[in-house]
Amino acid sequence: MSAHTLTPAAATAAPEVKQRSSLRMTVDYLLKDRASLIAASFLVLLVLFALAAPLLAGITGHPANDQFRETGLTPAGVPVGPGTEFWLGADQLGRDVLVRLAYGARVSLIVGVVASLAAASIGIMVGMVAGYFGGKVDTVLSRCIDLVMSVPFLLAALALVSVLGASLPLSVGVIVFFSWTSLARVIRGQVIALRQREFVEAARSLGAGHWGIIFRDILPNLAAPIIIYATLMIPSSIVFEATLSFLGMGIVPPDASWGGMLAEASGNSIYLTAWWLVLFPGLALLFTTLAFNVLGDGLRDALDPRTRRKAK
Amino acid sequence: MTPQKRLMVPLSLFAASAVLLSGCAIDTGNSSTPTGEAQKGGILKVGSNGDNDHLDPALTSYVPTQNFIRATNRQLLSYEASTDENTRIQVKADLAEEVPEATNGGKTYTFTIKEGANWDAADGPRQIVAEDVVRGFKRLCNPYRSSPLLGYFQTLLTGMDEYCAGFAKIEAKPEPMAKYINSAKLPGVRAVDERTVEFNLKEPAGDFIYMLTLATATPAPEEVLDYLPDSPEYRENFVASGPYTVEEYTADKSLKLVRNEAWKPETDTLRKANVDSIEMTMGLSADAVTQQLQAGTLDMSFDTGLAPSVAAQLAAAKDPDFSTVDAGSVNPFLWINVDSPSNDGALADKKVREAIQYATDKASVVQTLGGEAVAKVQNGIFGPGVLGYHDFDLYPTEGHKGDPEKAKKLLAEAGYPDGITLKMPYRNKDIEPQIAQTLQAGFEKAGIKIELIPVSPTDYYTEFLVNREETKAGKWDIAPMGWSPDWQGGAARSVFQPLFTYNGTESTYNLTNYDNKEADKLAAKAVQEPDAAKAQELWAQVDEIVMGDSIIVPVAAPTTRLYHSKRVQNFQPYALATQGDWTNVWVQD
Repeated sequence: MSAHTLTPAAATAAPEVKQRSSLRMTVDYLLKDRASLIAASFLVLLVLFALAAPLLAGITGHPANDQFRETGLTPAGVPVGPGTEFWLGADQLGRDVLVRLAYGARVSLIVGVVASLAAASIGIMVGMVAGYFGGKVDTVLSRCIDLVMSVPFLLAALALVSVLGASLPLSVGVIVFFSWTSLARVIRGQVIALRQREFVEAARSLGAGHWGIIFRDILPNLAAPIIIYATLMIPSSIVFEATLSFLGMGIVPPDASWGGMLAEASGNSIYLTAWWLVLFPGLALLFTTLAFNVLGDGLRDALDPRTRRKAK
Repeated sequence: MTPQKRLMVPLSLFAASAVLLSGCAIDTGNSSTPTGEAQKGGILKVGSNGDNDHLDPALTSYVPTQNFIRATNRQLLSYEASTDENTRIQVKADLAEEVPEATNGGKTYTFTIKEGANWDAADGPRQIVAEDVVRGFKRLCNPYRSSPLLGYFQTLLTGMDEYCAGFAKIEAKPEPMAKYINSAKLPGVRAVDERTVEFNLKEPAGDFIYMLTLATATPAPEEVLDYLPDSPEYRENFVASGPYTVEEYTADKSLKLVRNEAWKPETDTLRKANVDSIEMTMGLSADAVTQQLQAGTLDMSFDTGLAPSVAAQLAAAKDPDFSTVDAGSVNPFLWINVDSPSNDGALADKKVREAIQYATDKASVVQTLGGEAVAKVQNGIFGPGVLGYHDFDLYPTEGHKGDPEKAKKLLAEAGYPDGITLKMPYRNKDIEPQIAQTLQAGFEKAGIKIELIPVSPTDYYTEFLVNREETKAGKWDIAPMGWSPDWQGGAARSVFQPLFTYNGTESTYNLTNYDNKEADKLAAKAVQEPDAAKAQELWAQVDEIVMGDSIIVPVAAPTTRLYHSKRVQNFQPYALATQGDWTNVWVQD
């Protein structure tokens, strides 16, 4: 990918043509794409919602892990539904679903973003090294990728968490471990193509070292696939975390997580009488993953005109 | 801690659940009371998640299976299915002509088998004889697969230890096993004549007649010696003595029982056998069973419980098809790990353990379990309905909500003014995570920080609680458990012995080798006491002594929640199954 430059002569001849950066073009495209715009707006709101979790707890007077057994539950332990006291209802222990949803959003976003960034970093590094050096290095790293990809991830994740004990860092670690491979493969393929290009040859002839070429010349040209794949990795990570929590092997109670909230609603069949315990975390999970996916698609279209044409 | 699990068998497995072999007190007005004349005929449709653990009565230790055993097998003694708690736990004659009085200083029981009580043998009905009773006991310690409740009988029956030691040397194949059973003597069970059988005990045991109601004590026909216990061949050639027999059976899928033509109603006062057949469909989720019961496409549930929230709704609506049975279990109770090095070995200090007692918010756990309609606060080691259960509380707090201030004061006195941190594992299953969080919230008010450790259900006992190395290393400090007695009424032995006695050999579920010689002495007197009132008094003392040592924190005694379709009439719970008795209901469209 070479930089777009205009000669001074051409610029003088056509003053109405303005130079637009890649970022500007991408943003312009996204602003015209209504689906991406809605998704991005939703995610901004979600981030604000997560950041406002302590504020919500203060406004409602319901800290996330506090059990309001007198007001949130009937004497028979049935939670009260959405109303003035509990806006989205109380859960089976008399805790505020809204506040827990907000704290759960923090977990989902942290896990989603951190795990995706970490997985992307590993994937980029492995992919670049394998693709650039080729030969035995590529063979070894590619087999490592195959090996990780061939592990039944949910079973292995559950086993790991069972042995080491559930915790947020471990959940992130497990998600990272199983998420980096697809990006590594894509990056490897891209690098194999890029390393033959003239600008790499030029850098090499000017005496640049391997790592200089990798980071200064090749990495910037991988921005598009990295952004797209990392964005699409976020919803997978969120769902992965929710799955682990749903199976009781993710976030340790009483800390809130969307998967844990769904698990608690179903574990005791309480959802049969308290629909709000399934509906709200379920919708939050659905819309968040949907928003990241839509945004990821939008970014792909914006950054890669070829797929845009196909898509259209 | 969920409904419908394995029996709490001290000599085998599964120590935590809520379904029990004991039961008393049924409440809520319900349609159990028969409406009109009993109707014969029809199909009783039973929904189930899993299968019977065994079809062979010698091997079963699963509470729901007791209904299958009730329908297909008879014991010398049994119980009448009844909504009345006292009637339900009174031992009644089944195959025996009457419930005998003990002779020989309480060490001998003699039974006469009713004439006309038959096996449904392949070559036609055949009288059940005393030798069949002897054979039933002789099979219990077979080398192929011994009975999970063998220990109780081995402890009591004269010569059973020697008999079993000899049997252990026999090859686990039908032929040598049959040869041993036919030749070796078991002095504890003797056929006096064709229909008279005599039991000789090593020591008097007031609860022996209760033990004879167990499926384990079912007579065995001679045909069973041709097969390995509960083998596919055994199942194919099933010989019934109850009013129903197996017509079709596909493991984990379906079971169909039809009338046993060899059964004579005049010999059986406990079973009316109203329906023509019983069809059990397996593989259904608990919610699906509940919904099908409500829709009327199923009549009764087998092993699935009613969710507390659904039960609370049905109770509030006074649904006549909903009822509860007090089942004798204590679930949960917290075992305190006195061996734990955590907090500099704080739990070895009785004052700290007492602080934990005062810090426990039992009322909130009862609320989490579904409220007082389906669970009660528990303060002793014996659950409601078990001989020895009585109303006492050595660590009283207002409304059973815990007394954080008193707990803090005790902790300060013990040298922990800043509180302590305890590791509490819990089974990651059903309502148990919620119970753990409820307990945690209560403890934190008293300055006891709880680190929750989710553990997969299969690892909970094996990896954590019964693993002595983990216990001594302080991998857990307090742990929720559940325990149910193994039989009805006079069942205190089946709670006290496995949990609270230590004779130098580690007992699986006495997690910290708890030992109190005074309690042991009183318990020894209690098991030999033939007078139930006196035994009750002795067991009550045992209960208070154990609670005085503050080794466990009893929290709640859940009831079993029962629900059936509108078609079902005369829904009378059978004590051993804590479920409506298949052999006495009738269906009305």
